[in-house]
Amino acid sequence: MDQELLSDTFVDLADTMVADFDVIDFLHLLSDRSVQLLGASAAGVMLADPRGQLRLVAASSEAVRLLEIFQLEGEEGPCLEAIRTGQPVIEPDLRHAQQRWPRFTPAALQAGFTAVHALPMRLREQVLGGLNLFHDQPGPFDPADMRIGQALADTATIGLLHERNLRRAEIVGEQLQAALNSRVVIEQAKGKLAERLGLDLDTAFTTLRQYARDHNLRLSDLARTFIDSDPADFPGLTPARRRHRQ
Amino acid sequence: MPPHAEREAGGDDASRVARVWELVAAQAASRRRRVLVADVCAAAATSLDVSGAWVIASDGSRPGQAMCATDLVSETLAEVQITLGEGPCHDAAISGVPVLAADLADGAGQQWAVFAEAAGRAGAAAIFAFPLRIGAIRVGVLGLYRDKEGPLDTFQLGDALILADTATMLLLDAEGRQTDDLLPGAAPASQSPDLAAHNAEIAQATGMLTEQLGVSITEAFARLRAYAYAQDRRLSDVAHDIVTRRLRLDPDPPR
Repeated sequence: MDQELLSDTFVDLADTMVADFDVIDFLHLLSDRSVQLLGASAAGVMLADPRGQLRLVAASSEAVRLLEIFQLEGEEGPCLEAIRTGQPVIEPDLRHAQQRWPRFTPAALQAGFTAVHALPMRLREQVLGGLNLFHDQPGPFDPADMRIGQALADTATIGLLHERNLRRAEIVGEQLQAALNSRVVIEQAKGKLAERLGLDLDTAFTTLRQYARDHNLRLSDLARTFIDSDPADFPGLTPARRRHRQ
Repeated sequence: MPPHAEREAGGDDASRVARVWELVAAQAASRRRRVLVADVCAAAATSLDVSGAWVIASDGSRPGQAMCATDLVSETLAEVQITLGEGPCHDAAISGVPVLAADLADGAGQQWAVFAEAAGRAGAAAIFAFPLRIGAIRVGVLGLYRDKEGPLDTFQLGDALILADTATMLLLDAEGRQTDDLLPGAAPASQSPDLAAHNAEIAQATGMLTEQLGVSITEAFARLRAYAYAQDRRLSDVAHDIVTRRLRLDPDPPR
């Protein structure tokens, strides 16, 4: 494991008290770094919507196949189990897990994933969501990797709540809903940009993220203002300018 | 309740939405008319252990307008927040995030000292404000009050959010009916609405339509619903076809 990246990751995940903190960007950071540090092929963060459903809020890739698997996970699968039990759920070989998750397992295998582990994001007795890791090779997991994975998940929980003062129980509901709302705005912005520039949704998302970084904008703020904007307001996100930049 | 028991009590997503819709539809049925936003307020007041409920319509750019309230205290709470420009509903409308003030008298970190006093005199000890939105589409706020302090429990919070989603769709329906050249996107009263709040493809398709049709996000969503209604198809299926580029909606030809 890249120790320097590991240290940098914990520093980055702890850096939630800044004015430009963006929860969706933060959870994408978590997903991306989980892939790099833990040798996963893909990762995603799902949150327990107070309405009683599991929702994907960030993934290391927006590839449709992956997103469909997360969709299934709302009904059945390792992440749901991790949230219900409050314990990590590990499947080192999905080829033997058909009975365990009759719908999730074939979909994951079809997408090229042969192992999975889901780490609960816990706050005291409550489980707010899960960090879900997919691997393209079967096999047992290094216990050290799993401890670090859980530490990343726990750090992310604190970042999600974005407050040290946790006396108000309402904060959890408010912050979860804020994350879910931001995700919807980002989905709307993705669609708009994909259509405007003729991109697939995955590329539209990375374009938005990069634009936000290049212009020092919070991802959620960019998404919101982009949706309400005219093309002239975002010259960096219009087709003519993109052709010149290439 | 431990998390898994709460989830089972709440049921899976579709049946929970259906259950909440039944509460709302029953209010309309008892008044022998189609479902209106007021029915969401009435359902909230009876099922969430709150003393009253109201809805303020607002697109965020102007002070809102109270659409309905279950009782005089709720009406007062709605009007006072609009007049003062402060309070949990006001903050929820601006931030776009629920504001759950379980104890209005607890001033720590709150921005509404004047309102809190007025609310206390009116008889409110706790107020829960839910913005009515689907991503960037914003239509108003649902407010709930209690005459004693204390938070909503997780189950009540979940149902309140579903009621807020329902109110959002009903307000969008109401807007649609006011414009003659839009087809109504409303579901028949006998069926729970296709709540679009968290379907990623519906959000993506709505964004795509802002470009295809050259309209605002709110208008794009209205057009998406109108198309689904006219074709008698589920909103999520139409959205899927748009996202996978099997379907485009084109602007109306010039008259």
